[in-house]
Amino acid sequence: MATIATQARSFFANQQALLLLVLLAMVAFFTSQNPIFFSNAVFGNIISDWAPIVLMAIGQTFVIISGGIDLSVGSTVALAGVVAAFSMRALTTNGVSPTATLLIGLLVAAGVGFIVGAINAFLITKTNVVPFIATLVTMGAGSGLAVVFTGGGPIGGGPDQAIQLSVPKVGPFSYPGLVIVLIVIALGLFLHKARFGRYTYAIGSNEFAARAAGINTKRHLSKIYILSGILGGLAGYYYYLRLGCGAPTSGLGGELQAIAAVVIGGAALSGGEGRISGTVLGALILTTVTSGLIIINVAANWKQVVVAILIAAAVLLQEARTKGSSSKFLANLVSKKK
Amino acid sequence: MSTALYEVKNISKSYGSVVALSDVSIKIHAGEVIGLVGDNGAGKSTLVKVLSGAHQPSEGTVILEGTERKWESPHDALVAGVETLYQDSGLAPHLSVSANVFLGREKFVKGIFGKLGFLAQKEMDAVAHENLERVGIAVPQSNRSVSKLSGGQRQAVAIGRAVSWASKVIILDEPTNHLGARQAGEVLSVIKAAKERGLGVIFISHTLPHILQVTDRIVVLRLGKIVADAPTSTFDAESLLGTITGLID
Repeated sequence: MATIATQARSFFANQQALLLLVLLAMVAFFTSQNPIFFSNAVFGNIISDWAPIVLMAIGQTFVIISGGIDLSVGSTVALAGVVAAFSMRALTTNGVSPTATLLIGLLVAAGVGFIVGAINAFLITKTNVVPFIATLVTMGAGSGLAVVFTGGGPIGGGPDQAIQLSVPKVGPFSYPGLVIVLIVIALGLFLHKARFGRYTYAIGSNEFAARAAGINTKRHLSKIYILSGILGGLAGYYYYLRLGCGAPTSGLGGELQAIAAVVIGGAALSGGEGRISGTVLGALILTTVTSGLIIINVAANWKQVVVAILIAAAVLLQEARTKGSSSKFLANLVSKKK
Repeated sequence: MSTALYEVKNISKSYGSVVALSDVSIKIHAGEVIGLVGDNGAGKSTLVKVLSGAHQPSEGTVILEGTERKWESPHDALVAGVETLYQDSGLAPHLSVSANVFLGREKFVKGIFGKLGFLAQKEMDAVAHENLERVGIAVPQSNRSVSKLSGGQRQAVAIGRAVSWASKVIILDEPTNHLGARQAGEVLSVIKAAKERGLGVIFISHTLPHILQVTDRIVVLRLGKIVADAPTSTFDAESLLGTITGLID
C-alpha cells in the first residue's frame, strides 16, 4: 500500500511525465472521437501552430524563472512581422533576390524584437518599473504601432517563396519548424546546463543573494528581456512565412498563450522554478487542444475553458507537489534518525 | 603590533538627515574574532554594509592590509577577500547546495562549451562538498536543493560558503539567529576554525553569551557611535549589557 502511494507521489512530482500522459490522453481522446485526428496532416498543423507559441513561451520561461513576466511578446510578434513585411515588400519591388530578401526580413524581425526587449530591459532595470507594468506599456505601444503602420490590414508583396517554407517537409515539421526545434534545444541547454540559466534561477529564487554573490542582476535581467523580445520577433517572422504577409493581428493574445504554456509546464510565477521540457509540452498541449476541438466539431470558444481548466490543474498540482516533497523530506529525516 | 588586516577610519554615514554612523573606527587583525554588538538602531547594520561594500561611507576611509580601498559593490570586497554572510538571506533556495556555494564563481567545462558558459557540475558538487567539510560543515548531498534542507542546515551551508571562500576577512551578521543550541554551537566552532586559519572574523549578534564565548575583542555601538572597544576578558554578561543599553558609561 505504502509503496503504491510513494510511487504515485513520485510520479506526480514528475511534471514532465504527467504532461506527457495528459498529451497522450488527449491524442487518444480526439482520435476516438474522429480518427482523422491521427494523421500527418493534423500533426503538421499542430506543429505549425506550436512552433511560434513555443518560441514565445521559451523566452517567457526564462523571464518567469527570473521572477518577472513579459506581456509584450504577443505585440512584438505583430510589430516584428509587420515591419519585416514592409522591408521585404520594399526589397522585392527593388528587385532584390528572394533569398536575400527573406534573410534581411529575418534580421529585421529579430531586430524589432531586440528593440522591444531592450525597451523592456531599460524600463525594468534602469527606471525600476515592475515587469508587469513595463511590459504592459510596450504591449500597448507595440500592438498600437502595428495597427497604425498598416492601417489594420495585412502587408503582402514580399517574395512568393515565403509561404512554401512553411510546408511540412520532415514528418510534421517544416524547415523553419526544425530550426525552431534546434533553438529550443539550444536554449534548453543554456537554461539547464550553463551559467546563463544558473543566474536566471538564482535571481528568481533570491535576487538579494544573487547580487550578494557578485552577479550583475540588472545586466542579466536585461539579457533575459532582450532574449524574450528576439524570440517574439522570430515568432513574428514565422507567422509571416506561414501567412505570406505581415498582419497586425498575428500574435494577438500570444503573451497569454505563452504564459499558459509556461505555467502548465510547471513553472512558478513566483520565480526560481520551471523547465524547458515542461514549457515545450505545455505549448504542445495547448495547440493539441485547439486543433482537437476543431476536428471533433466543438465550438472554438470552448478552447478557452479547457485551457483555463489546464492552468488551474497545473497550479493545484504545483501546490500539492511542494507540500508533498516537504512531507517526504520530513519522512526521510525521521527514518534516518531511527 | 603589526598593521591591521582590515580597518575603517573615522567612518560617518548619513541617510538624508539621519546620521547612522558618526566617526567610527575599528581595526581587525588576522586570526582575531571581534564581536560587534549594539541595540537595534545602534548602527550595526550600516557598519556591516560599509565593511562589506554594500554602502559607501559619507566620510572616512576603508583600509585592507594597509592599502586604502573604495568598494563600489559587495563584489569588489568579495574579490579582495572580504566575505559577508547576510542575515537570513544568503542562499537561493531553489538552487542546489553546490550551486549556492559556487554562485558567482562557477567552474566551467573545458573547451568551447566552457567558453559558452557550460558548467562543470560534477566537479562543483565534489569541491563544494570538500570545501564545506574542510570548514567543519557536514551537509548530506551537495546536489540537493537548498529548499529541502532544514533551517539549521541552510545556515550551515551559508556560513560554510562564506568561510570557505574568504581569504582575509569574514563578516557574519547574526549567523546564529533562529538556530537551536546544538546548531548554534556548530556555528561557533566554525568561527573558531576560521580564526585558526588566520582569517579576521567580525561577528555580529544579539546573543551575548555567543559573543562572550568566541570573540577576542568586543566593539559596542550605541546611537551610531562606538562606546566601547576592549578585550572580551574585560566584559561579563552584565557589564556588556549595561554598555549596550547605556546603563554603564
